[in-house]
Amino acid sequence: MRPLPVIDGPDKPFWRALRRREVEVQRCRDCGTHRFPATRTCAHCRSDESEWVAVAPTGMIETWCVFHRPYFEDLPVPYTVIQVRLDCGVRLFSNPAGIEASALRIGMPVEAVFEDVTADVTLLKFKPKDA
Amino acid sequence: MGSTGSAVVGVGHTRYGRLPEFDAYELGLWALKDALADAGLRFDDIDGLIVNRIPDYQRFCEIAGIDPAYVNITPGQGRFSGICIETAAALIRDGLATTVALVYGNNGRSAGDRYGGAADTYGSGGAGNWFPYGMTSPGAFHALMVRRHMELYGTTPDQLGTISKTFRDHAALNPSAVMRTPFTLADYHASRFICEPLHLLDYCLINDGGVALILTSAERARDLKAPPVYLRGYGMATTLVGSTFPPDDFWRESLRKASARSFEMAGVTRADISTLMIYDNFTPTVLFSLEGCGYCGEGESGPFVAEGHLALGNRYPTNTSGGHLSESYMQGWALNLEAVLQVRGHCGERQVKDCAFAHYMAAAPVVTSIIYGKEPS
Repeated sequence: MRPLPVIDGPDKPFWRALRRREVEVQRCRDCGTHRFPATRTCAHCRSDESEWVAVAPTGMIETWCVFHRPYFEDLPVPYTVIQVRLDCGVRLFSNPAGIEASALRIGMPVEAVFEDVTADVTLLKFKPKDA
Repeated sequence: MGSTGSAVVGVGHTRYGRLPEFDAYELGLWALKDALADAGLRFDDIDGLIVNRIPDYQRFCEIAGIDPAYVNITPGQGRFSGICIETAAALIRDGLATTVALVYGNNGRSAGDRYGGAADTYGSGGAGNWFPYGMTSPGAFHALMVRRHMELYGTTPDQLGTISKTFRDHAALNPSAVMRTPFTLADYHASRFICEPLHLLDYCLINDGGVALILTSAERARDLKAPPVYLRGYGMATTLVGSTFPPDDFWRESLRKASARSFEMAGVTRADISTLMIYDNFTPTVLFSLEGCGYCGEGESGPFVAEGHLALGNRYPTNTSGGHLSESYMQGWALNLEAVLQVRGHCGERQVKDCAFAHYMAAAPVVTSIIYGKEPS
């Protein structure tokens, strides 16, 4: 079985939003800093007040690597992992959609691709913007 | 010139490799016996103990039959070797202990430890969030970092291969090393990718073993059996905020701060250093360490290593034991041991000529920098 996220934990709003083809992350009500995964306290201003908000589903590639050794059943190698910084500042690990690793570049603008992997789980992947 | 007031007076280690008949406690105790014999000290002389990677300090003391006045336990992460050594010096200076034993035992090879997949806890413990995308393992974290270094500065696979090959050449001169057969750059390129751009030969070994160091005051060190190696300076700095992801600056700022403090405390500069011991869990950390500690400029570490400076006989012989890549993955401990042996002049075929100062550094979310010297101040 492929590794699946815990969709009913503290990040539930994130996973529910992906089903609706939206990206939601936590935002501090006091200083406005976005964060993901969920934490009770803002690491920037230490406020406990937060809300889940929709953010632009766009960002840029910071770096990437290509797995040749398998670590998980049902995730066949080779596969590429990208590090993406969303425009709201939140960083994510993800996979590229519709682009080979050899064509990736640092700073490449990307936009969200929503990939349904089970009846309940949608993963957030990225393709080159305007592609 | 400066000093921390303490010295390493005993070093010990087990054989390295596959030792399935020993658990982590037994490996640690083996190394500690060896270190006490080296120092000419007895178990009862130990009044401070910090264990690392050994599961439980109480059990260890019960097995070793000791009741130290001070005891502590640290997690099995390589960054903790430097932290333990710096802490031991502080304990000695503040009088909490006079003779501190640092004991490391690692049965990871025989216990089947894995550094990736469902049990992965590398980073800040948040690794599991990214398993659905296949992201896992410290190796992948360093692959992401070095890919960015390659894109920003033009660092090449040949330059990484040179690091790995150089350390293997050193290991060939070290009877304790697990991997001693030299290889060529062509062999490096032919070794399989684990997480591209990193090949198998960019990864450290996974093996069993133990290391122990004994520290005491510089004053007391003079009366003991082994030639003292003085802890001349140390520094530490952290990059923990946002550390689920690689740092934008390759830990450069932490390395700069920690190394500057250690140089200042020691009263020396890079020009005085004879040999480098660089924490090499993966080849890229060697690049980051050289840049952060100022041995070359920002982005210049690739050409710097390709010029051969890290090889024995050249300006900064590095990881003369073979390091984690070829000697043994003792999570920084065996590199500190090698620093001590080099300063003592006990390294045989791989001895660095006129070795007055050795510099240990570890690039990680917690950076440590330690300078060892032959003279007390």
